[in-house]
Amino acid sequence: MDDKLTQFGQDVWWLVLAKVLLVFVFLVLMTLFAIWYERRVVARMQVRPGPNRVGPAGLLQSLADGLKLAFKEDIMPKMADKAVFFIAPVISTTCAFTAFAVIPFGPTVSVFGEKTPIQLTDVPVAVLLVLACSSMGIYGIVLGGWASGSTYPLLGGLRSSAQMISYEVAMGLSIVAVFMTAGTMSTSQIVDAQKDTQTLTLGGFDLTVPGWYAFLLIPSFLIYAIAAVGETNRAPFDLPEAESELVGGFHTEYSSLKFALFFLAEYINMVTVSGLATTLFLGGWRAPWPISLWDGANQGWWPLLWFTIKVLLLLFVFVWLRGTLPRLRYDQFMRFGWKVLIPLSLLWILTLAGIRVVQGSDLTVQARLAVVGGPILVALAIWMFWPDKRKAIEDPGVHGVDAAGRIGGTEGFPVPPLNLEVPVSPRAQRVLGERETVSTSKES
Amino acid sequence: MNGLVTLAAAAGEVKGGEAATFYLLAPIAVICAIGMVWARNAVHSALFLVVTMLCLGVFYVLQAGPFIGMVQIIVYTGAIMMLFLFVLMLVGRDASDSLIETLRGQRMTAVLLGLGFAGLVATGLYRALGNLDSVGLTQANSVHGGNVPGIAALLFTKYVFAFEVTSALLITAAVGAMILAHIEKRPDQKIAQPERMRARFAPDNYPGPKPGPGVFANSTSVATPAVLPDGTQSERSMSKILPQRELTAAEAAPKGTEHQ
Amino acid sequence: MSLSPYIPIVGLFALGAGFALFSVAIAPFVGPRRYNRAKLDAYECGIEPTPQPIGGGRFPVKFYLTAMLFIVFDIEIIFLYPWAVSFEALGVFGFVEMVLFIITVFVAYAYVWRRGGLDWD
Repeated sequence: MDDKLTQFGQDVWWLVLAKVLLVFVFLVLMTLFAIWYERRVVARMQVRPGPNRVGPAGLLQSLADGLKLAFKEDIMPKMADKAVFFIAPVISTTCAFTAFAVIPFGPTVSVFGEKTPIQLTDVPVAVLLVLACSSMGIYGIVLGGWASGSTYPLLGGLRSSAQMISYEVAMGLSIVAVFMTAGTMSTSQIVDAQKDTQTLTLGGFDLTVPGWYAFLLIPSFLIYAIAAVGETNRAPFDLPEAESELVGGFHTEYSSLKFALFFLAEYINMVTVSGLATTLFLGGWRAPWPISLWDGANQGWWPLLWFTIKVLLLLFVFVWLRGTLPRLRYDQFMRFGWKVLIPLSLLWILTLAGIRVVQGSDLTVQARLAVVGGPILVALAIWMFWPDKRKAIEDPGVHGVDAAGRIGGTEGFPVPPLNLEVPVSPRAQRVLGERETVSTSKES
Repeated sequence: MNGLVTLAAAAGEVKGGEAATFYLLAPIAVICAIGMVWARNAVHSALFLVVTMLCLGVFYVLQAGPFIGMVQIIVYTGAIMMLFLFVLMLVGRDASDSLIETLRGQRMTAVLLGLGFAGLVATGLYRALGNLDSVGLTQANSVHGGNVPGIAALLFTKYVFAFEVTSALLITAAVGAMILAHIEKRPDQKIAQPERMRARFAPDNYPGPKPGPGVFANSTSVATPAVLPDGTQSERSMSKILPQRELTAAEAAPKGTEHQ
Repeated sequence: MSLSPYIPIVGLFALGAGFALFSVAIAPFVGPRRYNRAKLDAYECGIEPTPQPIGGGRFPVKFYLTAMLFIVFDIEIIFLYPWAVSFEALGVFGFVEMVLFIITVFVAYAYVWRRGGLDWD
């Protein structure tokens, strides 16, 4: 495996330096752009213009905000643990930056006569490096929340640590299928493995699908996408910073540049999980189908553009989710992670491994179907008939509304009428007989 | 830079980049290990240990074991130290070491065991620094076409039994954690979120937040205690780190803006 | 094995850490400093101020269980990775071994599930 990676680590020193700087600048620019992008897109979804004053179309808004943050007072609460409070944003930011080192941007190009891949570096355990960085990044949040010596940050840090470790399991499991199909953990080789269209033989049928693992391994991609949202603390999984209950979550006590660093880390993490999703599932820097018909699409500097577009589209999905979905309740969220995502991932891995083992052997079609279908049926049966002693929680929905307009019996709380009729005010006792209820529906 | 490192990789000799990284990180690892023992605060202690573990991870990568290096970082620093941190946060941030020894003869045993361990390490080091030729992992890494496939091949041939036994160990860990930390509630004691919501909005319970400092008071300072609806000051609204401020006569005097 | 592919990672790490440390270090000097004791108080909006975070700054024991389960699954994942990478080479034997392993860990998972260890309230 190592011999395929020989093109990495051969750069001259100035090229290494330049690449490091470029990745750094790329991440900072992406953060500034993503903040603007998110605010504009979410504004469009809410039928308002969004930031449009600073610079053309408001593009410089996030830069202005960043600069403003630098000139804000740096406050350290009295109850804070000074050293840990100081170091927590540094941990977050450093881990966020480091994770991006192995994401491939493009193929080999020539820079001032030096042949080099448009990728900072690649190692046999590249994807593990990203996972390691994300697991270290949790420290920044836990420690930031703990060191603040305040209630809200502690709750936020607590929530987010439990949330991130839960969804890290799902994320780790979702990429097993990619390793299995690509046979490697190095990012550039995973991109290479998605180069060709593949023929999938399923029970005698031949299916031609693009080499992208997003098509080939749909369950993995979906689980990764969900886990990535949970891992980056984004809506609808943004419980650590649920502003309606926790003010700002773990960064409530942070101000000035320390806060800016947490903000930066969050957006870089978004870019990183999008970049990793692009690399693992969406063919990396390779051009999508209609463009890939053009011969030059996957050569030179063009792939940089495809990669950025794919990342931006994924970022759009992040914003879209935020604009669409309400925040989950914490118990729903943890239940989803532990009781749905993890067993599903394990089941999918075993199924895929089973299929591939059967594919490799020489069995008849019936035998293959039996070997593949049997365990799936058994697993489905177990899942469906799994005894659940807990009675389903009484549905507090529409059916629970009693005659008095309350949910949950006489002890419950009142709800507005669901047919949109404006009820008679209880104070208007005298005119009760004279007035009818006013209906807002057009039919009546 | 490149030449040096390539040179260092040859024949498992410790040279160039490898040596430089080692001499840079080894003192950090040792200092953090000492810091872990000396730190007063338990969380600081855990953080020092995290740094030591990270350095160990880098050392593994340095010694041509990138997979085990990453695993060290993911499992030890990422998962196990997170568990440590949770346990330390369990006891609260102000809990300091108790100086009362509960185990009799603890010190004596500790000294003895410490000496024994030091002896063990010294002998091990003496033997290791003797006439041992380091082979390096160059050959082991190339047999199966890389570090990771090499580990996989060993795991599923020579160490397959140990691998399967690990799963039993994991069961033990999960069951142990359940027994230690899980408080099983009887079904009638379980309060789910919907019930809590109902309780919150039930009659006789005020669902909103209580008044903060300064609310209902005739001063806007945070240091002013909140006044309850019956006119008494709310003891719970006073910040412990701010001095309580008595209003001067001028401040307390009616300003003519109050509702008479 | 050559170590040179790891140098850029160290470079990016150093640059990121340097940037973060620099930002954190200059923050008190760039911004204004208007001392006010009220600013040192913990930010609590709408609740009664507490001298200490809830429960004396303690984490509930529930999180211990979550962390332990996380370790269990993390180790399982770590074993899955090499198996996945050399899936072709390991063949049917590797598959059977891995099925056994996953089922065994699943027993622990099912036990925790049934005992209510995965329930949050």
